[in-house]
Amino acid sequence: MNTKFPNRFMPYFLLLPSITVILIFFLIPTIRSIYQSFFRVSPFGDRRIFVGFGNFSRLFTSSAYVNSLVRTLIFAGSVVVIGLVFCVIVAALLNQRLRGMSIYRTFFIWTYAISPAIAGTVWALMFNPATGPVVYLIRLLTARTMNWMNDSNLALAIVIIAAVWKMMGYNVIFYLAGLQTVPDELLEAASIDGANGIKRFFKVTLPLLSPTTFFLLIMNMLYAFFEVFGLIDIMTKGGPGNATEILVYKLYRDGFIAIDIGFASAQSVVLFVFVTILTILQFKYTQQKVFYG
Amino acid sequence: MKRLILVVLFMTVLSLIVPAKTTITLWHAMSGANLTALEAIVKDFNASQSEVEVVPVFTGTYAETLTKAIAAFRNNTHPHIVQVYEVGLQTMLDSGAIVPVFELAEPGFDWGDIVVPILNYYSVDGKLYSMPFNSSTAILYYNKDIFQKAGLDPNKPPTTFDEVFEYGKKIVESKAALGGIAFGWPAWVFEQMHALHAQFYANNENGRKAKASEVYFNKDFGVKVFSEWIRWAQSGVLVYGGREYNANNAFLAGQVAMLIQSTSSVGSIESKASFKVGTTFLPRIPGYPKGNSVIGGATLWVMKGKSKEEYKAVWEFLKFVAKPEVSQKWHKSTGYFPTSNSALKGLLDEGWFSVRPNHLTAFLQILSGINRPESQGVRLGNFVAIRDVVDSAFEKALQYKGPDIEKTAKAILDDAAKQCNQILKDYISLYGK
Repeated sequence: MNTKFPNRFMPYFLLLPSITVILIFFLIPTIRSIYQSFFRVSPFGDRRIFVGFGNFSRLFTSSAYVNSLVRTLIFAGSVVVIGLVFCVIVAALLNQRLRGMSIYRTFFIWTYAISPAIAGTVWALMFNPATGPVVYLIRLLTARTMNWMNDSNLALAIVIIAAVWKMMGYNVIFYLAGLQTVPDELLEAASIDGANGIKRFFKVTLPLLSPTTFFLLIMNMLYAFFEVFGLIDIMTKGGPGNATEILVYKLYRDGFIAIDIGFASAQSVVLFVFVTILTILQFKYTQQKVFYG
Repeated sequence: MKRLILVVLFMTVLSLIVPAKTTITLWHAMSGANLTALEAIVKDFNASQSEVEVVPVFTGTYAETLTKAIAAFRNNTHPHIVQVYEVGLQTMLDSGAIVPVFELAEPGFDWGDIVVPILNYYSVDGKLYSMPFNSSTAILYYNKDIFQKAGLDPNKPPTTFDEVFEYGKKIVESKAALGGIAFGWPAWVFEQMHALHAQFYANNENGRKAKASEVYFNKDFGVKVFSEWIRWAQSGVLVYGGREYNANNAFLAGQVAMLIQSTSSVGSIESKASFKVGTTFLPRIPGYPKGNSVIGGATLWVMKGKSKEEYKAVWEFLKFVAKPEVSQKWHKSTGYFPTSNSALKGLLDEGWFSVRPNHLTAFLQILSGINRPESQGVRLGNFVAIRDVVDSAFEKALQYKGPDIEKTAKAILDDAAKQCNQILKDYISLYGK
């Protein structure tokens, strides 16, 4: 397998399109945000003051930011753990031979095809304190009114459920694919050795799914950190009282509503470093436990 | 070659015969019924003459429209006219990106016809900087049917904070409705309360004498208002209804009996309500001096960097918008104030207000109040961010369930004030005092 390119520059030329894309959409913006994070800039960009690490020191002394960090960790942790546990169970159930299984599968998978804006609207409507059907049902059953607009923990819980629901299709597809590669011989051998269904699942199936789990762990974490923006914007706008203001949403508010570009850039730099470290840690520690068959 | 010359010649002649229209772009934040009304005005203007074509573009909420205009200005792709809400006033004044309307106007234009509180709000040193368009103020809406069901007189709405609380409790206890009252734009309602009771919201006369560097809402009066609201919330009278217009749904669904909201919702609430809607002045706390409710809504700002000819066209459009008949039509379909005194007189003469008395409430309120520096409206640097902080504080306050109401209100407001003062300090560091 030692093919030679006819021309020394050919490989670089072929790489050019992707390098251009990376340069324009990733590298230049990253460098610009690092640069901007050292300034305080007026909304219209006509005035700027060099503040050194002022934006960063303000970040970590601000109670609002620390609060947002805590909220993010709770949010991301819950979305990842609940999402993976729930989806592996759903996928295992969907991996049976039943009449009409493809219909059930479609039902579980299509949540991924719904845009965040629509998913957010659907959930917000279901839990609308005044007109939501879920709120109405709960009132009929328990005679309790439920208003997530003035209950921080409830709001966070509902946003977590919505975020898990939105990502469910993606997780289920990968787990289903993973489950279908589990060799029947191994499961048969295990049952001959006397393992029951639950034991087989935990001792044979789950370890064999570990590459999928590892992949989904990273994807879900990135999702929980960055991609839930649309959902939160539609559902809570970070409220009530900053209860669902996770880091990426706070960044948006400071950067695009308050138009404090320098401060928002500092936040994006911190967020970038933070997620990079998390990913490296995951690669380092989780990968040792991943079994590639 | 010959044919090409012919085509070019033909085009030149054609362009001489058909005068090219000047195109003016207008970015706005009007949606729903207000969008239809705005588009009707633009259509009428475009049909009224042949030189100018105004193109309205919906650019999202007020905050989004402001952000987009700023981003566009930085890239030199900004519109001629942008609709900016009152919160963006200081930002626009300092931006260096605008042409004040008093400079744009033809000499001798009668500014005196504009309703005084509106004129005051958008004037600096007696000069008007942006064109009044959709101005509003907050009023109290109430559901007459629920009042009746709760054994209250539907023609006697509450006038004081204590009455709101008392009536609200009656409504909740008699199960006439789930909640007593909800607010739209809570931070704005908080500002209204300061203006209404002649209290400053920030130093330097609400930022009108010099740039504000300190907010005052965590003083005794603000704490008093917040404490009352927490008390209402604890007994189920005050129900949280979102930061903008979401509370309208709860009111329309009959879940709350009262609503404090912008008068711009009068049109849509009256048309959607399945019950008798009453409106009245904002409730007061007795014992404080009388001020006035404050102007909200938006104005039309003209942006810099366009040609002379285009500015002439812009002025033609702004003049059209200010016409009494246009202003009246706008008021009727939305509930926003007609901006001029002559428009108001016309509406009065034709008997509009006796058919639709709820459209008059906001007007009477603002004309019967006392105009003093405290009620002229707050002007703060980066007000958008400050609104956000106060909205969060309101949401935090409403979640408090314990007995230390005053102390909690003070703590929440102190924390919010600290954040706001930092925002003001940053703003001053950029633009000077």
